[in-house]
Amino acid sequence: MSYVAIKGGGRAIQGAEALLEYLRTEQGRGGLPLDLETIQSQLRFLHGRVMSEGGLYHPELAALAIKQFMGDSLEAAFALRAYRSTKPRLCESPVLDTGAMRLVRRISSAFKDIPGGQMLGASPDFSLRLLRLELLDESPERFQEIAASWLDDLPDDKMPDSLPKVLDHLRQEGLLPKYKVNLDSEPFDITREPLIFPVPRSAALATMARAETGSLLGIAYSNMRGYGDVHPTVAEMRVGYLPILLPHPVTGEAIEVGEVLITECEVVAMYEESGDHDIPRFTLGYGACFGHNEVKALAMAILDRSLQKGMRDGPANPSEDPEFVLLHIDGIDSMGFCTHYKMPHYVTFQSDMDRLRTTQKKETLKRVKEKQQ
Amino acid sequence: MSSADQTTEVTRGQWLRALSALEPEKLTAQVAALTEEWQITPRSLPQSGLAMLKIRESAGGESFYLGEIPLTTTWLEIRDPDGGQAQGAAQIMADNLDLARALALCDGILAGKLIGHEIVRALVRQGWQRCQAEEQKRRAMLATTRVDFSLLDDVGESDGN
Repeated sequence: MSYVAIKGGGRAIQGAEALLEYLRTEQGRGGLPLDLETIQSQLRFLHGRVMSEGGLYHPELAALAIKQFMGDSLEAAFALRAYRSTKPRLCESPVLDTGAMRLVRRISSAFKDIPGGQMLGASPDFSLRLLRLELLDESPERFQEIAASWLDDLPDDKMPDSLPKVLDHLRQEGLLPKYKVNLDSEPFDITREPLIFPVPRSAALATMARAETGSLLGIAYSNMRGYGDVHPTVAEMRVGYLPILLPHPVTGEAIEVGEVLITECEVVAMYEESGDHDIPRFTLGYGACFGHNEVKALAMAILDRSLQKGMRDGPANPSEDPEFVLLHIDGIDSMGFCTHYKMPHYVTFQSDMDRLRTTQKKETLKRVKEKQQ
Repeated sequence: MSSADQTTEVTRGQWLRALSALEPEKLTAQVAALTEEWQITPRSLPQSGLAMLKIRESAGGESFYLGEIPLTTTWLEIRDPDGGQAQGAAQIMADNLDLARALALCDGILAGKLIGHEIVRALVRQGWQRCQAEEQKRRAMLATTRVDFSLLDDVGESDGN
């Protein structure tokens, strides 16, 4: 791959950046800059997606990235990833238990009655996908009134902050495999070690947790449609705030330094012999990511299951192949490779043209000779 | 037990959470005013960077890295004008050394019952009430959307659930 310097390119690049900035502010005197709180609140799904795909839970800077890149989720995640690369790592958390999540949504498609009950939370799952035309002309007063009115009617319900997991219930009934792994083993750090295959499952989970949603969905969809046989049932989909605990420097006591909004999904797949002369049990897949992104968590859980199968038996289709899946789902990698094709490739293309002309010339000569014979 | 009574029992492990619920600028200004003439020395270098989040997945029980969070840490030795001494520390999920310092000061003031600890305790109470309000809101999100997927035959035509 070769590039050539472009004479006068600097001025054009500055012009392109200035033009981009003009487009961001094109509303002129009639417009107002997006404030970061508005982005975090009103574009919350996009905001969560950028934090997840950037691999950094930084609500303020994720909102800034969305503002700066005018809603381009790939570019915004790229900027967040670039930012994180400039910061030192101070520590890592102890292993956090997602059972302590402060839930705002929790559903199961496996059982209608789950311990603690099902709560739809904020979800469009059962709503019609019709445009709400009244929002075309939404007044600030009406907008503010909706939230105030919801807050006025809060029930004084004694709901617990966290609820037991459906999988724990199934495990107690002997329907699921027991934990087999060494609980003390250190997970693979994809931010510091390259993926050289075979990789452990912790590398696959970390890679998928910061993968691009559409890429994960596309490969998981291939498995759903027939290029695979996970046939998932959602044991539990949870959305909530996970308290982040770190040891207090003075006392050593684990204290809460903040919380992150995450989506977590556990799927139950086909049952199978678990080996060791054990009785058949269901197999499982797990997905989790920053923000409220159920499609990503579910797609990840399906791929976790298919990759576990592929790692054990060898891949029978693309979604079971760790190398195929894990090397093609990162948004920053794939976007970067894709967009590099827009950069000047004049030398390589010139070379292609030279070769084509030479080949054409040879072919023409050959045909002339064949005719003469 | 009233809400006010509950907040008086906020323990050291929860001070940071409670105080983090307040407006950072106001808190920083209040603590700066309170500790203006105090002798404050860093016990370790204040740092701003990242922390890796490690969670346990619930299918196989393996741990993995979910991603990173911003982290600022401060650890201070504090001496008030009356000679009272304490150590205070804070770790916060933000790139804000001033806020981390203010929270570490609050931690030390409360731990050592230094001058102004009543003021800081009042701030903790105020922050804790905000945390509780947020928790109540989240519980309401669950309570108002609780669903019963029983078959219609089981519940008649009622849409009460």
